[in-house]
Amino acid sequence: MTILDIKNISIDFPTSKGVVHAVSNFSLSVPQGRRVGFIGESGSGKTTTALAAMRMLAAPGYVSEGEIHLHSLGDTNVLELSDDEMRRVRLKKIAYIPQGAMNSLNPVMRIENQIWDGIVAHEGHVERAELQRRSRTVLESVGLPASVGRLYPHELSGGMKQRVCIAIGVCLKPDLLIADEPTSALDVITQRQVMQTLREVQETIGAGLILIGHDMGLMAQSVDDLAVMKLGKLVEYGTVRQIIENPQHEYTKQLISSVPLVGGESFIESTPEILRGEAGPLLEFDKVTKRYGNVTALHPLSFSLDGEVPKIISVVGQSGSGKSTMGSLMLGFNAPTEGTVTFRGKDINRLNKADALTFRKDVQAVFQDPYACFNPFYRVDHALKFPFKRFGLAKSESHTRQAMEEACVAVGLDPSLVLRRYPHQLSGGQRQRLIVARALMLSPKLLIADEPVSMVDASLRAAILKNIHDLKDKHGISILYITHDLATAYHVSDYVMVLYHGRVVEAGPPKEVIGSPQHPYTRLLIDSIPWPDLDRDWGSAKDAAAGLDALATGEAAAQSVFRGDITGFDLSVHA
Amino acid sequence: MGRIPSSYLGNRIVTLFLTIFIAATLIWIIPRLSPVDPAEIALGRMAAGAGTVGNSEDILAQLRAQLGIDQPWFVQYAKYLWGIVQFDFGLSTANFPTPVSALIANALPWTLGLMLISITITFFIGNLLGALMVWDHSPKLVKVAIPAAMVLTSIPPILSALLLMWIFSAKLRLFPLTGAYGLTVEPGWTWDFVQSVLYHGFLPALSIVVVTFGFWALGMRGLMIGVQGEDYTTLAKAKGLRPRYILYKYMIRNAILPQITAFALKIGMLIAGQVLVERIFAYNGMGKLLYDAILDQDFPVIQGVSFVIILMTAFSVFLVDLIYPLIDPRIRHGR
Repeated sequence: MTILDIKNISIDFPTSKGVVHAVSNFSLSVPQGRRVGFIGESGSGKTTTALAAMRMLAAPGYVSEGEIHLHSLGDTNVLELSDDEMRRVRLKKIAYIPQGAMNSLNPVMRIENQIWDGIVAHEGHVERAELQRRSRTVLESVGLPASVGRLYPHELSGGMKQRVCIAIGVCLKPDLLIADEPTSALDVITQRQVMQTLREVQETIGAGLILIGHDMGLMAQSVDDLAVMKLGKLVEYGTVRQIIENPQHEYTKQLISSVPLVGGESFIESTPEILRGEAGPLLEFDKVTKRYGNVTALHPLSFSLDGEVPKIISVVGQSGSGKSTMGSLMLGFNAPTEGTVTFRGKDINRLNKADALTFRKDVQAVFQDPYACFNPFYRVDHALKFPFKRFGLAKSESHTRQAMEEACVAVGLDPSLVLRRYPHQLSGGQRQRLIVARALMLSPKLLIADEPVSMVDASLRAAILKNIHDLKDKHGISILYITHDLATAYHVSDYVMVLYHGRVVEAGPPKEVIGSPQHPYTRLLIDSIPWPDLDRDWGSAKDAAAGLDALATGEAAAQSVFRGDITGFDLSVHA
Repeated sequence: MGRIPSSYLGNRIVTLFLTIFIAATLIWIIPRLSPVDPAEIALGRMAAGAGTVGNSEDILAQLRAQLGIDQPWFVQYAKYLWGIVQFDFGLSTANFPTPVSALIANALPWTLGLMLISITITFFIGNLLGALMVWDHSPKLVKVAIPAAMVLTSIPPILSALLLMWIFSAKLRLFPLTGAYGLTVEPGWTWDFVQSVLYHGFLPALSIVVVTFGFWALGMRGLMIGVQGEDYTTLAKAKGLRPRYILYKYMIRNAILPQITAFALKIGMLIAGQVLVERIFAYNGMGKLLYDAILDQDFPVIQGVSFVIILMTAFSVFLVDLIYPLIDPRIRHGR
């Protein structure tokens, strides 16, 4: 039985520069109990289409033609309902599950109140005891203890907040759930847990599900049918197996191939000749420990990275594993509690002014959020020019321009198209490439890349990682790649360190560590990655939880497994 | 949320008194940088009254002794500090020899009454209007009328006061022209008196409200736009909550938080803002006291009034700091 029928709808956004056709002639039916994925890049109209079914399009968007029928309302066209009738449809018939890890819950209201107000808005007065019973039940159904109801959102982790959002969505047992990238802000382990929870409650209440996302791997593990969208058009639709095993449209093929796999073919071609740097240790950690109060963010660790043959060292782990702490220690943003961090033989926390300036030039960083890295007030060339001049590298205005243009070309951007623009006029991918270009202009010795691709569309990740990889091969820059994405680490790095609770639990060349993991934590990480492989068992939410519990209590967690060495990088872990 | 840890409270109290001490020191130093000698002013006043003054040198010396300005600066400073601890700001030079504290005690209740009523009304009206400017479901008329009303914000309070006075007192004769209460009623806790006070306070309060609500409305508008774009507002709508409920519990509830801090800061500044309004309506409050003191170069009164402003600001900020965790659960007092 069909629960939602989208018939030939088009959605327009009138702007001062003319009408933008966000979605055109889109038709699709969602059968009861079935999971339908909407996949596409940002701006492809997937969220817009789903929001249209709830009549929640952001102004000035509107449905210019077509109909959306909801079966449980006797096939009424939802576009013709009055505002108050539509209000009653939301949550009760169609529930929206936002990306909840960040900011989807009212920060000044207890969780239980945010479940109750939804119930009361649709059912009128309900006894307090009954409300309490229902919020408890629904929280338990998503695997949260009932006591969570008394807490405020900021007291929960990202994964817990996301599960609260699911609980709110299912509390009135709607016909249809619309989940908008519900796991994109979560790390792989939590992602698996939350996704499986969502599937379980959806099956229990028998609702249909529209899952919006851009990750083909996640879709393969989560949905039955898949709608591929590009530029507001439905380019391909079918069962997920049909689409993944036999994609017809060029764009679908591209989406599938952009998912980096562990093993399989590399998306990076190796360059035969690698530019050599100067010999001698570049970056060294000597028994470095970092504690915040009673919490140890990084357990004692020593390593030495030689600069002669540039390498990419990956640091992988979940959020909270201490990998970003490690990055900020390397950049000198944070001083270690014990031990020393040295760069080319000098303690980076005791540099004189001249050395500190050289250090800042030689060690560059690429961060997660490419938008936040630009001052929105200036055109982007300012961000490139400014450090170049400040570090005294600019010989003349034309020299600066030439350096900027060369750097842009090196990261695959057309300088004439991007340089004179403002940050908001560029895509996330373009911005991140510019950040890489900016680092490149300063010809650094070392680049710290902290989650450089986690905020860009899947289809662009490979290209940006290729840029970063080129820095090593063509420009002789050593790179520390901090990420939670093991598949990309597998392809780009020469050496991998897996961090768990501030401890290196497994380390070695990626073929060993990620290709055949031995430590239970590494195994859990790899099992949690969603791959576009339909025959792989992704495990249930309970498996994910059990895996983490076993680690938290087991002794294995504290032991480090070394899987082989590479020349120019020595690592030792202290008790 | 919950209990306030004693270490935090202790810290905060120390900061409170340190702030007051530093500010009190500044208001002691600043008038002393002026070349004017208060004793000469007092003498001048005598001369103006009596025509001539013999023995002027002796009288000057006597006046200086009485005002305590013949002593070394550190003695004066120590006496000053000891004095303010007991709310003793010395004697007014203009209304010699009335103690400053008596003048303040007379004026303060009037100002507190007028000020607290007008600032509270302004706060509620301003924030509500600011919120309605952003809310999707506001009537069209409201969305047009509020920005138009913002024009009033550009009027200085003295002009609004004169305008209201002209319309309501001079032309329509609805309200009295001046004074804080009628001449025919006896001050005291009687219904007649209270009525008279409210009747007399209405126009001054209104003249403050009409020109200052825009401050809150514009600030609130900006905050509301931010909150409107928040994911939790979107989710609230997707939950099918009633629009009015979303407005109060999701939008205003979050947007109001920074406004409350601003409110605390405003309380102290309002005496200063009210100076001319009180003067125009001949309303015997702190503003008028300060105005007259400045004209008369009456340093002890200026000091006393400034000190009260400081106390009020410092204490209102202190109170907001303490209650903030109750209104925003994300804020906790340091452990």
